[in-house]
Amino acid sequence: MSKMVTLTIDGIKVTVPEGTLLVDAARQAGIHIPVFCYHPKLEPAGMCRMCLVEIGRPMIDRNTGQPILDENGQPKLQFLGKLETACTNTVSEGMVVFTQSEKARQGQKATVEFLLTSHPLDCPICDKGGECPLQDLTMAYGPAQSRFEYEDKIHLAKHVPLGDLIYLDRERCILCSRCIRFQAELVGEAVLTFDERGRSSQIVTVSDPPFDSVFSGNTTDICPVGALTTADFRFGARPWELKAAASICSQCAVGCNIVYNTRREARSDGRIVIKRVLPRQNEEVNDLWICDKGRFGYHYTESRARLTAPRAEGRPVSWEQALQKAAEGLRSASQKALIASGRLSNEDLYTLKRLADHLQMPAYLYTPIGGGEWVRRYGLSTGSDLSALGKGDAILVVASDLYEEAPLWYLRVRQAAERGAALIIAHPRTTRLERQAPHQYVLRYAYGDEGEIIERLRREAKIAQTLHEARNLVIFFGNEGMGLEQSESLAAACADLLVETGHAGRIHNGLIGVWPHPNAQGAWELGFQPIFDLQPLFETMDALYLVALDPFGDGWVRQNGRKPFLIVQDILETATVRQADVVLAACAYTEREGTFTSGERRVQRYYPAVPRYGDSRPDFAITAALGAKLGLNLEAQSAARLFQEIAGAFPAFKGLDYARLAETRPQWPPTGRADYPFSGTAQPNTQGMGKILSAVAEGTMTPLPPTMQKESLRPEEGTLLLVPIHRLFDAGSLLTPSALLHGRIGAPHIILHPKTAQEAGVTAGEKVLIEWEDRQAEALVKVEEHVPVGVGLVPRSMGIPLSRAARARLHLAERVR
Amino acid sequence: MSLAQKYSQEIQAIFAKYPPEQKRSAIMSLLYLAQREEGYISQEAMKEIADMLEISVTEVAGVAGFYTLFHRQKEGKYRIQVCTDLPCALRGADSFLQELAQALGVRPGETTPDGRFTLEEVMCVGACHRAPVFQVQHGDTITFHENMSLEEALAVLKKLE
Repeated sequence: MSKMVTLTIDGIKVTVPEGTLLVDAARQAGIHIPVFCYHPKLEPAGMCRMCLVEIGRPMIDRNTGQPILDENGQPKLQFLGKLETACTNTVSEGMVVFTQSEKARQGQKATVEFLLTSHPLDCPICDKGGECPLQDLTMAYGPAQSRFEYEDKIHLAKHVPLGDLIYLDRERCILCSRCIRFQAELVGEAVLTFDERGRSSQIVTVSDPPFDSVFSGNTTDICPVGALTTADFRFGARPWELKAAASICSQCAVGCNIVYNTRREARSDGRIVIKRVLPRQNEEVNDLWICDKGRFGYHYTESRARLTAPRAEGRPVSWEQALQKAAEGLRSASQKALIASGRLSNEDLYTLKRLADHLQMPAYLYTPIGGGEWVRRYGLSTGSDLSALGKGDAILVVASDLYEEAPLWYLRVRQAAERGAALIIAHPRTTRLERQAPHQYVLRYAYGDEGEIIERLRREAKIAQTLHEARNLVIFFGNEGMGLEQSESLAAACADLLVETGHAGRIHNGLIGVWPHPNAQGAWELGFQPIFDLQPLFETMDALYLVALDPFGDGWVRQNGRKPFLIVQDILETATVRQADVVLAACAYTEREGTFTSGERRVQRYYPAVPRYGDSRPDFAITAALGAKLGLNLEAQSAARLFQEIAGAFPAFKGLDYARLAETRPQWPPTGRADYPFSGTAQPNTQGMGKILSAVAEGTMTPLPPTMQKESLRPEEGTLLLVPIHRLFDAGSLLTPSALLHGRIGAPHIILHPKTAQEAGVTAGEKVLIEWEDRQAEALVKVEEHVPVGVGLVPRSMGIPLSRAARARLHLAERVR
Repeated sequence: MSLAQKYSQEIQAIFAKYPPEQKRSAIMSLLYLAQREEGYISQEAMKEIADMLEISVTEVAGVAGFYTLFHRQKEGKYRIQVCTDLPCALRGADSFLQELAQALGVRPGETTPDGRFTLEEVMCVGACHRAPVFQVQHGDTITFHENMSLEEALAVLKKLE
């Protein structure tokens, strides 16, 4: 516990920990000191001079070290002859501060007047208008009229693209450097800076591609003026026209809290549509941030490929006909199975599982990463908080490139490492986390040697010691280079490590699966089973019920002669939908309510943002209607009631309900309308911070790693080993409808080490034909140093249907000059 | 050839001045080196310096952009920088600049067709009392020339190789 300091701000006594910045202390006491450059998540810069205040400090007698008292016995105060910045001064005992004195107001007023000398005052067409700190603070502190000539304003470029996603308006910029500092300090990617100096200063990026960061959108939230805007939202709507719906991001397993801003508009034929995504504060999950995939990837919900009505044999039919047909198909099939993905809510998955049990068919989870059963038993438990990790704790990241797979976890882990947590990274190649985080130990292993990772960690004395001595241990595992079986074994080995080092079953400790889907963990918790190979199912089953997955489009399954009766339930027209006998049109998660369980086992609610599209229905309602035709009575109306059933049926969910999930806790920094200047436009959390599931009962705590069921492929001299990797921006059916991300997605490519490329006789930018097993695909060659020699990295969901490591040959398809 | 290959010893000597964990401090010396080599700091040079210092190329560009004596465009071999701030102007720097421009056949900011000279108008060079004054920047050296008349200035330029 640090020492507490008491001071007086505007006559109010405030007691805060020593070292607190004056601006924060004031805010804690409910006093808003105006700021532009200060942000509570960034180091103070003292650049904008907006927070000028009068500070008096008790005079200290140098001989005695005691305060000098005046005739009334009060400490004598010493004021500096000038105003000081509240954002760079820390509190001290007995300090007396005036934020609203005549002198302070004068300083603040002058600062605004100066900032406005060359500000264009184009508020009527500015996206920030209505939620703009400069606008608000000008109203509150600025002069009504400027003494400067309007004609003397310096005019600068107004539409400068900083990459594909962010635009800079140079004349609106007040050079506060929040965006620069956000990138450099918080993300560790210094891709923005000031060019020139003095009056000529301007924000630039010279990275390749420009503004090379997956967190770029956050700079528009903390920009205190309309200088940085997103390509998605600029000139799209005015903030006061927008309604807000609390939601959870569906793009990965982190479960970032977000808000969908919507409005009804003529240009969308009078429909209510999503206009933008903003982060919603949850200091236990995503702070005030989201990644660009979460911010810009929502357009699939309004894609032209959305299914609007059910179909049978390729023709639109009524729900009654479609359900009847589906029910008949399932009833008459002797061999049948259900496959669902982690894109579905807990309520959907629970309903599906009930139906599967009723029909005595297996319920499989569609996932490239296995091991969820181990996360269910050894994952984080109630009360855990990744932001609590720091000095004395350890984080192990195995076979996962967090920056590409779960950006907010990358940020979380990096921050924990900055606070002093020991970071251990086991990965076959250099990832961004390795380059950007301090306090780390790296274990490099070859692709194919995944089975030995944990054993090698045990043998490295320093790492083993760190793991054993860590107060808390959190392990993230992915599946780079691995098939489902290997990743399951890896998860088991990680769980074993938690047990061995004495970390299992404790708060702030546990295993986290870096799943590609928002609710994969929910599926594991609700009893879904992994399926190692889908192809045989499609060859032996009589009927399959596929919900929220596209195995044909993903290249996991190929049409080989015999075809089962296919019931496909999805939101988009996919390759699998085109194969279906019955298509059931589900609505997007933005059109209904439900819960997701994140990779850290946090159950969180999302709320309806827009009306249902066409005649689509929530997944659980469809399944319930199907169940009704098959003699099973399921809840079809209320997601809340379904969640109650889940809480009754699964011990880990015990005691949870929709009301508890909607609870919030006080958070720092404060957010919301009055705090836009302080914290940016990240939205306050009023609709729920979620709850982490409770630990599964003791007694199930002695796992033994199962042996690898399949031999792993290793790089070998003279051959090329293809390895699928996850990239944040892929060409999956959920991301391609977001046109503005196409530049980031790029073309199908293969990444080779310079030496491998040389041996294959190809150079960067050339098009090659990749042949593996009995398949082939074209790809552009990229050459990067971090790839192991003899390996070709192939991003998943980029049009190259590689689902697991394979030996391959490269042929030059086209020599590009 | 890259800077690292061409000047490996000099670069080693530069890095020796700073503790390894503070090696980004070597940025100024490396920028000087790059500018001496080509007369300006190219994109490639910035990239190389960034890699050497393990910082982003944007950070290197930011430092290069802050200092007016680092240049990012290829210009004349010699940069003639005339101060025309108020005290210098009072001693005739304005007309001196115009005369010099005329004699060289370029406008301030431009380079002579033979690529030898770039004439620049700059802020204070710290010799107000001896204006008209200009400095010649070439490689990593700067030479001052004070109390100049047009004839004297042309004589100075003629002597430059």
